[in-house]
Amino acid sequence: MSEPTVETLFDEFATRYLRGEQPDVRDYLVRAGAESEDLARMLDRFLHAAPAREPTEEEVVLLQARLEQEPPLLLLRRRRKLTRAAVVDALVGLLGLDAAKSGKVRRYYSDLEVGVLDPRPVDGRVWEALGSVLQANVRAVAALRPEPPAPSALAYMREPTGLQAKLSMAEAAPAAQADEAPDEIDRLFTAGP
Amino acid sequence: MHDARDAEDTRLLEAGEITRLIESYYGVILDRCHLKLRGGGDAVDVAHEVVLRLLSELKRGRRYRVPFRVVVHKVIDWKAKEHFTRGKVQEVELDEWLALASTESTGELDLDDPFESWIAPLTELEQTVLRLHYLDDLDFQEIGRRLGKKPNAVHQIHFRALAKLRKGPA
Repeated sequence: MSEPTVETLFDEFATRYLRGEQPDVRDYLVRAGAESEDLARMLDRFLHAAPAREPTEEEVVLLQARLEQEPPLLLLRRRRKLTRAAVVDALVGLLGLDAAKSGKVRRYYSDLEVGVLDPRPVDGRVWEALGSVLQANVRAVAALRPEPPAPSALAYMREPTGLQAKLSMAEAAPAAQADEAPDEIDRLFTAGP
Repeated sequence: MHDARDAEDTRLLEAGEITRLIESYYGVILDRCHLKLRGGGDAVDVAHEVVLRLLSELKRGRRYRVPFRVVVHKVIDWKAKEHFTRGKVQEVELDEWLALASTESTGELDLDDPFESWIAPLTELEQTVLRLHYLDDLDFQEIGRRLGKKPNAVHQIHFRALAKLRKGPA
């Protein structure tokens, strides 16, 4: 099968965009391969001229997280009006874990939520379960981990950030205790996709 | 094409819903930053710079005599340029443009329609086909009916036009 041309990719993107879809420009650049420079230039001119699309919810969460210096996953949970305990209970049920070990799941989830647990090794089943609880592309949201506040960002915060405090608390209570043998929960949160 | 959007932007500005206004542009800000940085990881940072600049402008009460979307795209272009020159671009140029575009200024402001300036190098027929397809959202059959041409011929004109734009100036 022949590779799609830049013209074909441009037309496909523009048609979807004008139809109200939210095609990902990065996917199209990848599909264009060596011709991605040409496609990027054309799409940029098109997006400059076309009516702006609605942002996705994940993008809105990213923006708020950046402005408020809050972890994106935490913001997403708050948007859903869910307590952390409710998310943890749902995770334990959906993943078929031992309810007696929900404290461990809570510690891992807390670390993930505040951005101190690297989301990359987290098992796909955890993302799937979290996605169904929080109704979003949670993996993409969690990947947007918080960064230290830039001085210019501080002026736009609604209130002083509690991120540093959250990070300190999470670091003080590591999910996996040193004297425990690794189990299914450790594997789900740290062993890889 | 932009009338409804511009009216909504004006409403949000008048209501002081600045964050909601910026939020509504965040998708296209991210898209264009990803394109300008060719999918590089810094795109989100540059997008954030765009947001902070827009917020800074609006929070100090500046309003514009051009549609807000024009300001958004100007700041995107500028911040991407600044990224590539590692901040060596004179920021004063953007400051001057934004001041000139503000309601307080009466100076002459050069504005071009980004779509029209993009398709300007094409023939009149090619321009018409692209306008009907991308601005009026017509398919090739309908465009052919309006122009008295077969859909296949319109399809060829359309792709020839895109191929020319592809080879055109950046």
